[in-house]
Amino acid sequence: MGSMSRRTFLNTSLAIGGATALTRIIPNIWVQPARAATVGFFESEFGINNILCKKILEKALSKGGDFADIYFEHTISNWVSLEDGKVDRAYGSIDLGVGIRTVKGDQTGYGFTQELTEESMLAAAATAATIANDAMKYETKEFVQLDVKNHYPLERLFTEISLSLKLPLVKQVNEKCFGLSGHVIKVNATMHDQQKRILIYTSDGVKAEDIIPRNYIAASVVAEKDGRQERAGWNFGGRHEFSYFTPTLVDRLAHEVVKRALVLFDAEQPPAGELPVVLGPGLTGILLHEAIGHGMEADFNRKGVSTYATMIGKRVAEPFVNIVDEGITDRQLGSINVDDEGVPGQKTMLVENGILTSYLHDRISARHYKVNPTGNGRRESYQHYPIPRMRNTYMLSGECTPEEVIKSVKKGIYVTDVSNGQVKIGEGDFAFYISQGNMIEDGKITKPVKDINIMGNGPKMLQNVTMVANDMELYEGGTGACGKDGQRVPVSFGLPTCLVKSLTVGGVQKQGA
Amino acid sequence: MNKDMINLCEFVLKTAKDAGADDCRVAYNKSRFVEVQYREHKAETVKEATTQGLGVDIYVNGRYSSQGTSDLRHDALKSFVINVIEAAKLLEEDPYRSLPDPRFYEGRKDIDLNILDKEYEKLTPEHRHKMAQELEESCLQAGGEKVISATSQVYDEFAEEIILTSNGFWGEQQSTVCYKFAEMTAQDEGDRRPNGYHYAVGRAMKDLPSCKKIGEEAAARTLSLFGGKKLKTETLPIIIENRNVGRVLDGFVQAMNGWALQQKRSFLLNKKGEKIGSDIFHMIDDPFVMGGLGSRLYDGDGFATQKRIMIENGVLNEYYIDWYRSRKLGVEPTTGGTSNLIIPAGKRSVAEIMKDLGRGILINGFIGGNSNSNTGDFSIGITGTLFENGQFTQAVAEMNIADNHMEFWKKLAEAANDPWTNSSWHMPSLVFMDVVVAGV
Repeated sequence: MGSMSRRTFLNTSLAIGGATALTRIIPNIWVQPARAATVGFFESEFGINNILCKKILEKALSKGGDFADIYFEHTISNWVSLEDGKVDRAYGSIDLGVGIRTVKGDQTGYGFTQELTEESMLAAAATAATIANDAMKYETKEFVQLDVKNHYPLERLFTEISLSLKLPLVKQVNEKCFGLSGHVIKVNATMHDQQKRILIYTSDGVKAEDIIPRNYIAASVVAEKDGRQERAGWNFGGRHEFSYFTPTLVDRLAHEVVKRALVLFDAEQPPAGELPVVLGPGLTGILLHEAIGHGMEADFNRKGVSTYATMIGKRVAEPFVNIVDEGITDRQLGSINVDDEGVPGQKTMLVENGILTSYLHDRISARHYKVNPTGNGRRESYQHYPIPRMRNTYMLSGECTPEEVIKSVKKGIYVTDVSNGQVKIGEGDFAFYISQGNMIEDGKITKPVKDINIMGNGPKMLQNVTMVANDMELYEGGTGACGKDGQRVPVSFGLPTCLVKSLTVGGVQKQGA
Repeated sequence: MNKDMINLCEFVLKTAKDAGADDCRVAYNKSRFVEVQYREHKAETVKEATTQGLGVDIYVNGRYSSQGTSDLRHDALKSFVINVIEAAKLLEEDPYRSLPDPRFYEGRKDIDLNILDKEYEKLTPEHRHKMAQELEESCLQAGGEKVISATSQVYDEFAEEIILTSNGFWGEQQSTVCYKFAEMTAQDEGDRRPNGYHYAVGRAMKDLPSCKKIGEEAAARTLSLFGGKKLKTETLPIIIENRNVGRVLDGFVQAMNGWALQQKRSFLLNKKGEKIGSDIFHMIDDPFVMGGLGSRLYDGDGFATQKRIMIENGVLNEYYIDWYRSRKLGVEPTTGGTSNLIIPAGKRSVAEIMKDLGRGILINGFIGGNSNSNTGDFSIGITGTLFENGQFTQAVAEMNIADNHMEFWKKLAEAANDPWTNSSWHMPSLVFMDVVVAGV
C-alpha cells in the first residue's frame, strides 16, 4: 500500500479522475490518505505557476483594461443511481479548463480553453483583451496567497471513496422506502458527489485555491392507493464529508420521502385567490431568494433594471425583519470560502431591522458603487465569467412561536414544500411552486394541499410579512441550484415560520364558489 | 468531418474493447462560439471559445456506466476509459442494458437537412459588433424616453459531432446555430420597471429577421407590459401566445416519455389510443424540417429518424420510448425524445380570433409554475393583456392559471396562423376556453 499514490486511488473509485496515466488498477480498495490538500493541485498536475500566470494576465491586459483574472477549474462529478431495486447505473464527468477575463469599467472580455497549455491560454487571454483598446501598460503585482477559513474541509476526498462504499447506502434507500409502506410502488435513489478544484489569479495580486465539495443523497418514490398515484422526492446534502452519509441519514430520508408521498392522496389544489400564507421553516426560504434576493444582485441595480434600484437605506419591511446572504455557514450548499473572482466568502445583511442595507456585489458592481465587493461574484464554471449571485439566503428568527403564527390565520395556506420559483426583476413579481402544504382554517392546520403556484410582488410581500417566528431553519438539501444568465450555481435558503398576510394562490376554482 | 476527431473516437473504442468492455459507444462533440453583447452603445461583453467533450457509454458483464470528460490527452483518455470499465464492474447487473439492435440504425435518410450555414466562417467580428449595435439602437429608439436600459446580444456557433458504437453505428454531423436578441427595461408607474425581450434563432444569420425589427419588437413588448395589474379571479377564454405554448406543453410531453411511463410517473400511462384532448389537438414530430432547430437524421440511440404523428384529433398515438425503456417496458421503441415538435397552425390570426372571443386574456409570458407528471395537475403564473371584443384593454400581471392536463387540452378550441419557429418546438398561438385565471 505504501507505494500507491493518492492519484491511483482517485482512479479506482467511481470518480474517474485521472489527469495522469494509470499504472495499475486496484478497484474497490481504500486507504487513508493525508488530509486533502487544498493548495498546489494545479501546479503539480498541470505546471501552473506564478510566472506563467503573470504572463497570461499581462496578455489579457495588453490592450489596456482595469483588471484581469484567470480561473482554473478541475471538477469531477459522479452520480450512482438505483432504479427498480438495483444500483445498476453510474454517470460521471470530468471538466477541466481555464477562463480568462479582462475588465474595463463595466465591460468584459472573456475567453476560455480546455487545454492548459501556454499557447492555448495566451490565445484565450488575447480574446479577452479585445474588449479594451488603450495603450496602458499592466503593472505587475506580486501574488499573495489568500488565507481564509475553510468552511468545508475534507478528511477524505470523495474521489478517494470507492463505489463499493456508496452503493450500499443507495441500496438501503430502496429497502427502507418499500419497508415503510405497502403503497410504495417505485423507488429511485441517487447519490451524487462533486469535487471542484479552483485556482484564481487576479491582476491585483490575489492568488486563491480551493476544493469545493458538493454532495447529496436523494430519493423519489411513487405510491399507489385506490388506483391513484402520487410521487414525492427529498434529499439531504450540502458540502459534506462522506461520513455525513450514514444509515441513520438514509433512514431519515426514507421516512421523509414516503411521508411526503402518502400525504398527497388526501391533498387537493386549493381555491384560487388572495390568501394569507404561512411559510413553514427551511426550504420555503426560496420565497426570499425570489422575492428579494435576485433584485438585490448589484448588476441589476447598477443597470437600473431592478425594482430595488432606488431603495437602499429605505424601510422595506417591519422592524423585526432581518435578511442575510452569506457564504460562511459550515457545510451549507451555498457556502464559499472564496468567491470566483478571489474575494473571501462573507456575510452580507440585505435587510436589517426592516431597512434595505446592501446589494450583493461582484468586483464590477463594487467598483461602480465605490464599495468593497461582498464575495458574491460567482460562476457556474470556467466557461462563464462571474456575476453577482446569492449564496445562503435566509431570514433571521423573530420572537413569536410558530404556533402563534398559525393561530393568527383564519383562512390561509401553510406551505411545507417548495419545488421551484422565478422572479421578474424589474417588476418585482415572483412565483414559487408549492408541491405540498396545508390549508389553515380557524387557526388550525387542516387538509393537505398540493401543486399550486403562488404569486406575489417582492417589495409588497416584504411589507406584508407581519409575523416572524423563532424557529429559523436552513435547507438541509444538496440539490438547490439557481439559474441566471444561463449559469447555474448551488445555493441554499432558510426561513423561520412567518406570515405573509396576502399572496395570490393559483388554485383551481373561484374562492367561495 | 474532422479526421482527428474520428481518430480519437476510434482510439477510445479500441481502448475500451481491449480493456474488456463488451460494447461501447463514443460521442465526441466540439463547438466554437462567439457572443457579443451591447449596452449603452458599447460592447458590454465579448466571449469566444472552443469547447469539446467526449462521452463514453460502457457495457461490461451486463453492467453499464456513462461518463464524460473534457481532458482529451491520449494518456488521460486511456486511463479514463479503463476506469469507467473497472467502476462499472462494481455495479449491479441490468439485463435490459445493451446497445440498440442495429436494425434500428438502418434506413437513415440521405438528405441535407440544411442545418449547416456553409458561409458561417464569413462572419467577421466587425459584422457581429455592427449587428449588436443595430439591435440596441433600434430598441432604444422604439422605447423612447421610458427606456432605463437596453441590452442586445448576437451569438453564433459552429458544432461538430461524431458518434461511434462497437456494433456498427456511425453518425456525424456539422451544424450551425445563431441568434439575435434584444431586451429592454423601462420605467412604469412607481417602482415597476417592466422588462421585455424579443429574439430570433436560426441556422444562418442571413435567414434571421433584421436587427431593426427585433429591436423594435423588444421595445414594443416591454411597453405592452405597462400598467400590469392583478384582476379579480375569473373564468375566461385564454390565448397562449405562440412562443409560450411550450412552457405548458412541456408538462404534457414529459408524461409521454418512456422513463415516466416505465417508472409509473405519468398521467398518460395506458392512455395510448385514448382521447386526451379536443378534436383540433394534433401534434407531429418531424425530424426532417429543412433548417429546423430539432432536425436530425438519427436520434440519441442512433435510430434512423422518422416523422411521427404523436397526437391526432385529440387521440394519443405514440409515446417517446428509447431503446432501453422499450426493453424494460417490453414494447417496440419509437424515439427517445422530441425532434421538431409541431402543433399545426390554423387559418386565422390572433387578432381575428380575439374578435370572436369577447372577454379574454392573451398570455404573453409565464412565471414560475410546475407540473405533476403523475396526476397532470399544473399551476403557473402569467403575464398578459386583457382584451374585450378584439381590443386590448388592460395589461395583466401577478395572476395564475391552474388546471389538469387531462382536462386542459380538451379545452383547446383553435390554433392561430402564427407558428413560432425560433425553437425546435413549432407552436402557433393556442386558444383555450373556460380557464380559471386567479388573481385578487
